[in-house]
Order: sequence, then C-alpha cells, then structure tokens
Amino acid sequence: MIVENQISLSKRENKSLKYARSYFSSVKGTIGFSLLLIFVFMAIFAPLIAPYSPDEMTDDVLKPPSAKHLFGTDHLGRDIYSRVVFGSRISLSVGFVAAGLSAVIGVLIGSFSGFYGGITDDIVSKIVDTFLMIPSFFLILIIVSIFGSNILYIMFVIGLTTWPGNARLMRAQALSIRERTFIMVARSTGESRIRILFGHVIPNGVFPVIANSALQMGGAILTEASLSFLGLGDPNLTSWGKLIFQGRPYMTFAPWMIIIPGIFVVLAVLAFSFIGDGLQFTFNPKNRKGE
Amino acid sequence: MPLLQMKNVNINYRLKNRQVRAVRDFTLDINEGDIVGVIGESGSGKSTLAHGLMRILPGNGYLEASTITLNGKDILNISDSEFRKLRWVEMSIVFQKAMSALSPVHKIFGQMYDAILAHKPETGKEEAIKKLEKLLAVVNLPRKALDMYPHELSGGMMQRVMISLGLIFNPKLVILDEVTTALDVITQGQLLDEIKRLVKEFGLTVMMITHDIGVVNELCTKIAILYAGELLEYGDVKDVIFKPLNPYTKALVESHPDLNPHGGGLRGIPGTLPDLSNPPEGCIFYDRCTCRLDRCREEKPGLRDFNNRKVKCFKAGEFNG
Amino acid sequence: MSSFARYIIRRSLSIVPMVLLIIALNFFIIHLAPGNPAQLISGLEQPSVEVVKALEEQYGLDKPLVLQLGLYYKNIFQGNLGYSFIYGTSVNGLIAERIGATILLTVSAAVIAFALGTLIAVLVGRRKTRILDSIFSVLSYVFYAMPSFWLALVMILLFSSTFKLFPTSGMFNVRASYEGWAKIWDILHHLFLPCLTLALIQIPVFFRVTRSSIDQVNQDEYITTFTAIGLPRKKIYRKYVLKNAILPGITIFGLTLGYSIAGAALVEIVFAWPGMGRLMLDAVFRRDYNLLLGIYFVMAVCICVAILLTDVVYAFVDPRIRYQ
Repeated sequence: MIVENQISLSKRENKSLKYARSYFSSVKGTIGFSLLLIFVFMAIFAPLIAPYSPDEMTDDVLKPPSAKHLFGTDHLGRDIYSRVVFGSRISLSVGFVAAGLSAVIGVLIGSFSGFYGGITDDIVSKIVDTFLMIPSFFLILIIVSIFGSNILYIMFVIGLTTWPGNARLMRAQALSIRERTFIMVARSTGESRIRILFGHVIPNGVFPVIANSALQMGGAILTEASLSFLGLGDPNLTSWGKLIFQGRPYMTFAPWMIIIPGIFVVLAVLAFSFIGDGLQFTFNPKNRKGE
Repeated sequence: MPLLQMKNVNINYRLKNRQVRAVRDFTLDINEGDIVGVIGESGSGKSTLAHGLMRILPGNGYLEASTITLNGKDILNISDSEFRKLRWVEMSIVFQKAMSALSPVHKIFGQMYDAILAHKPETGKEEAIKKLEKLLAVVNLPRKALDMYPHELSGGMMQRVMISLGLIFNPKLVILDEVTTALDVITQGQLLDEIKRLVKEFGLTVMMITHDIGVVNELCTKIAILYAGELLEYGDVKDVIFKPLNPYTKALVESHPDLNPHGGGLRGIPGTLPDLSNPPEGCIFYDRCTCRLDRCREEKPGLRDFNNRKVKCFKAGEFNG
Repeated sequence: MSSFARYIIRRSLSIVPMVLLIIALNFFIIHLAPGNPAQLISGLEQPSVEVVKALEEQYGLDKPLVLQLGLYYKNIFQGNLGYSFIYGTSVNGLIAERIGATILLTVSAAVIAFALGTLIAVLVGRRKTRILDSIFSVLSYVFYAMPSFWLALVMILLFSSTFKLFPTSGMFNVRASYEGWAKIWDILHHLFLPCLTLALIQIPVFFRVTRSSIDQVNQDEYITTFTAIGLPRKKIYRKYVLKNAILPGITIFGLTLGYSIAGAALVEIVFAWPGMGRLMLDAVFRRDYNLLLGIYFVMAVCICVAILLTDVVYAFVDPRIRYQ
C-alpha cells in the first residue's frame, strides 16, 4: 500500500505536467487563460491600475472617452474606466465562488448518487433532471427578491441552483468508474465505500466537472450582471451589470456608459468559455501524448 | 484475359509527420469465376487494398500502381466521374459492419432505390420495387424488409440486405470485406452457404477478404496470403493450404486448430507486425520467421512463379509438409 | 398501438413528477422565507384580519405542513393560482393577458435561431473552407457571451436611435389603432428587434452543435457505402448527411427553450414588450409573491410542454428512439 501510494504520487506529478502541456497546446485554452490572468491582475491591483477612485465625482459629467478619462464619465462625473476596473473584483468573485459552490455540491451529490445507486439514485436523478429543465434564473430572481440581495446571498443562490449540471456529469462518471477493475479490487480487499468514493471515484471522475465549472463561472457572471441590471444586485457594490443599469437612462447621449461595461462582461465570459474548451481538450485522452 | 488485373499496387497513408506504406508492390490477377480469398492478419493491408480498388480510401490515403484493369479496361487512370459510372455496375463491395452500413433514419427501400437511381435514373418506383422484391427473395428476405429501418433487422438479415444491395446491377466482381468476421459460427456457416449459392446463380467472381483461413478453405478456389502489405503466396486453395511454400503461410495454417496437420490446440505466431512507416529492406517476415537465412535480412525475395503458384521466399519448396 | 404513440404517452407521463416537484418547490420557498406565509402570499406587511382569514381558508395556514402542501396542490390543480392583492385581480387573469406576447417572442426567436444556426452550420460544413469555419466559430463564441439585455440595448442604440429603422419599445403603436393586416405588420415591426436579439444569442448553440454533428456524420459508415455505390456527392450530403446531422439540434431545441425564457424576460424588459417577463419584474418589486410564484409555475410548465413536443418531433424524425 505504501509503495503504491508513492508510485501514484509521482504519477500524479508527471500527469500535471502533461495536462499543462496539453492545455496550452490548444489555442483557445491559451487565449482564455491569458485573458483571465489579465482580469485577475486587474481585480487584485485595481487601486493601482485605476487612475481615479471609483466613487470620486468630478465636474466632467457625461464626457465621452478621452485622454483624461479613458472610457468617459458618467452622470455624476465618475471615471468609468476606474469603475470598470473595480467592478472586475465583484464579477470575478461571483464567478469563482458561485461556480465553486456549484461544483462542490454537484460532485458530492452526483458521486454519491452514481456510486451507491439504488432508489436514492433514482430519486436524485429525477430531481436533477427537473432542475436542469427549469429556468434557474427565475428561481434565483424569486429567492433573491424574497431573501435579500446581499452579494453573498447572490453567490450562494447561484451555486445552489446550478449544481444539477455538475451532479449529472459526476454521476455519469461515477457510474462508469465503479465498474472498473481497480474499484472492485479495492472493495474486495475491504476498503470502505466512503474511502473509495473520496479516494478513487471522485479524483478520477472530476475532470468533466472542472471543465464545466469554467463555463459556469461565465454563466454566474452573466447571471449577476442580469440581476444587477434589474436592480436586484447588491446595493452597496458596483458590478459591471450595475454600471449598465446606471447608464441606461443616459444611453442615447452617453452610449459609452453601457457599451464599455458590456464589452468587459463579454470578454470575461469569453475567457471562461475558452478556458472551458481548453480544459475539455486537455481531458480528452486523444490529445495527450504518451499516455 | 483476367477479369481484374493489378500490377505493382502501392497504397500509402499520409500522417502528420510520416507515411505509412500499407500496401507495397502488390501484383495479382483474378480470373473470371474465381473465388479469391485474400487473407491476412489485422494490419496486413487487405481491407486497404479493397478500399483502394473501390476508390473509397480516407482523405489521407493514396493509391499508385502501374496497371489496374477491369474487364480489360484501364480503371486506374480514369477520372473520378468516369469511375463513378462503373461503380456498383461492374464492381461492388459489401462491408463488414452491416448494421451501420445504411442510414438509420431512412427506410431501406429509399436507400436501395437511390442506389438504382444512381446508375439508372429513369427507373420508376414501381419497377424498382419489383426488382428489389425479387432480389430480396433471392437472399431469403421478406418483402416488408423494404419498409423497415436498419435497426429493425437483425445483424444477419442486414448483412443479407447489403449483399443483395451489392448485386443490384449484377456486377462481374464482388468484393466481400470481412463479411463473416462479426458473426457467430452458425450464422457464419449459413452466410457462407448463401454466398456459394449466389456465386453459382449470378455467375460471380468474388474477392473474399478475411483473416479466417477456415472460411477461405470452405468457400474459395484461390487464396492470396497478405502479410504487412505484401503478397507472400498465391495459388489454388487446396495446394497452398496443404502444401504451403512460404513459412508465413505454413505458420498461418498451423495456427488454425482444424487445419493444423500436426493436430494440437491453438498456436499463435510470436512477434508483431513491422513498422510500416519504415519497412525493412529485406524480407518483410524476417523478424518472425523460424527458418530464416542471413540473406533474408538484406535482400528482398521477388515474387516468383512456382508450378502455377506465386511465392515470395528464398526457401520456397524446401519445407513441404 | 404504434410504437410512436406508446413513446408519446411514456414521455408525457414522465413530465408529471417533474411538474409536481416544481409545485412542491414553490411551496417550500413560501414557507422557508422570513416572515409569515400570510404576509408573503398577500404581499402586505400588515394583512388585515379578513385577508388572513381568507388565506387561512384557502391554504390552511393554521394546519400542519403536510396538509398545507396537499391544499396547495389542490388549489393548483383546480387552476387556481391565487389572488394578487396588489393588482387586485386573480393571478390567472394577469398571466393570461401577458402569456401570448411572451410565447410569440420566445417561440419565434427559438425557431429562427434553430433554422439559421443549422443552416449556417450546414453551409459552412459543406464547403470545408477553414476561414469561414473559423469566422463563424469565433462569432458564435462572442454572441454566446453577450448578456441579452446588453445586446438589446446595443440593438436599440443602433437600429432605433441611430438608424431609426425600428421602434424602441412595446408591441403596438398605441397611437394608431390598426386593424387586420396593418395590425399584424405593426406587431411584426415591433417584434423584429427583440426577436433578433434573442435569436442572435441562441444561434451559436445550434451552430456549434450541428457543425460538430456534421463532422461526426461524415465519418459514419453509410456515407462510405453511398460513395462506393456512386451516389452523387450532393445527394449524399443533402439527403443523408443532413437528416442525420440535425438530430442533435432538435434535442437541444427543447433544452434551449428553457434557457431562453430567462433571456426573453430581460429582452422583454428592455424593449417594454408586454409579456410575462415584465410582469415578473413588477411583481418582484411590489413584493407580490403570489403572482411571482404563479408566473414561475406557468413558465416551468410551458417549458416542460416544449420539451415534450421536441421529444415527439425528434421521435418522428429518428425512428430508433421509438423502440426505447
């Protein structure tokens, strides 16, 4: 057992390198990752990047983009560039947290359901299928309007309504992995089911969920933007969606107020889409040399 | 004059950074009335040869030869549109996987009718139905099979549909590409009987591609042994099987439990196929041959005539048994 | 009974538990929320004694939870989605007014997206020119990443404000009262931009799915068979590749209908299209939860029906499914 673990550890190290090399051989994956890096950089170093404070009001009201204000100003004279840069913090956080929560719940439920099978599996599958069909955005809308629009609630609720997709992926993986020989060996040597689940089934089957999570991060950003646009976002925070919401009344004579933040949303979601594609490419064994 | 003449056929696959030479310098004549079994292991190039002849190689496959004639006419240098005219009419092929050989979302009649229309566009629907009913009856299939979808028929039935499809225009040459491989022994036996009957009824010349020497022994009149893209022996079935002149042929025969003259159980041939992107200079079978000479490593034996047979081996004739 | 009929019945029955689940979900939301259910359902901070009594009657608010759930189901199956205290009329009535507009918009956008997305995929897939392929591929990613409300705003900026081609809002020209053909034309004129917006966001999905499906089908064995037989390439493509390749797109159609409902609501709001989306938003802000849950239920049922219909259409096209 000890020897086996050592071997599998070094195998895992080599695997990481192989995965990385394969990932960056895909054009989309590389572009997505670079874009994401830019956004993360922007979010972390926002105070250093933004020339103005995002709430600083000036007399330059509704001015178009210029050298002084790269993306123009809004109706209170605030610099849009700075507001967008700070907005990236919210959008990225929502993306990561919501998708992360969705992944954790989905993996746990899906792997349990698929691995243990039986009636539990039937019931869970039915629930998952139903959730996948219903428009989750409305559920989020209802819940947020009832319970409140604190940013944490929003992240939480998005995660709680999007886990079925991951659960289905994980369940399919669990179903096929549990038939594999090494699992049967582990069971016959008396390893407890829980340990097999967490030690073997999940680590081997989690890859499609990881790829899907990238896409879900993009989706979470879109959802948050939509909520903010409807006025249901966190009232204390200024996300990209909120900026578009604020810009709407002025859009005919200050179109930059809505166009710029929207472009940022598109780029962020695009980045995650590309990353998701890159991950799917990596996890396809045909694309890894020397496996 | 032979029905099909092939001289120096070479088929290559172009991959990203190398070329795989799947068939090399293949020369063979098939006479009218022959049932030629082309036999070889997986990777021997036998299916590739058939696909090359029918011009259905995948995009990266290329065929070159000095001569290929069918019925005395050159079919190598003619254009694709010229070749299209003789497809199915003079030469047809039946594939291995019958269940997926037709579109799953169209009825069988429509697809067979399209085949007729491809070469006789003036054929009316009524006429086609009559003709197809007759054809299906020949292979013991009911008329209502025409109204069905492929997945509604069993594997054996679909195989017979595909055979009857191949016979629509009563072509002179029919290629059967591993049609018995996926079947169980009983269905296989039935199918072989059917084929024998059809050969007689339609006066067919058949090129039977298979890896099972037992099938060849039962059905064929002539046999061609293919190894790693090269023809190693050719002749009358009984001659070649019971008096092999090439060591590979001998090993192949001995690996079949029923045909092994020394009895005993299953026997394989140790070793694996050579790398076809870099074929060896000497004899292709050198690595796995049990009676090789030093000469075999450096020099390639030519295909020589030997009493009505063709053989590629320096030691031909020295180990009859 | 034909296998087709049996399949339809089977699929219809499988929808039932899902609908029941959705109703139960609504119920639990009401009861998990802060505040008491009477407050929530009526939407009033201080519901009067009469109101509370009426609600208790209808929903059994003073009875144990299980019985309440039963009563809730009973209400719904009687077609009673409740009463909106804020609008002062039945929820059924409110929804009935608006549902037509939403269906018009959503369905037309979905159909156009399916048709265009599939068509482009087919045209691009046949030519095999890498440039066109790459262009449309990139475009599909970009449009898929756009927030629907943002694209709607951009559309308005471009076509209404700048080019003055289309109206910015509403479904009719309220100042004129058109009849007959003029009325229909007017509606279409108003429908164009919101429909286009929705369609642009959905086309990428159909494009990508069908495009990869074409690649897969080209490798299928029957294509080799027809090539060997000598069928003209055009015919092989038009008759056999096409029918086999659009199957995944049909499957997706039902699913995307669900996702597009969310997009439709946002587009409705931006274009002031008088559909359920706007109603929902108003309900949110007025805290009319009864109305809100009623709308949600209706939408969910509509989607289930849409998926059922797509399944039926799919079974019509692909005979293999009927045997499962």
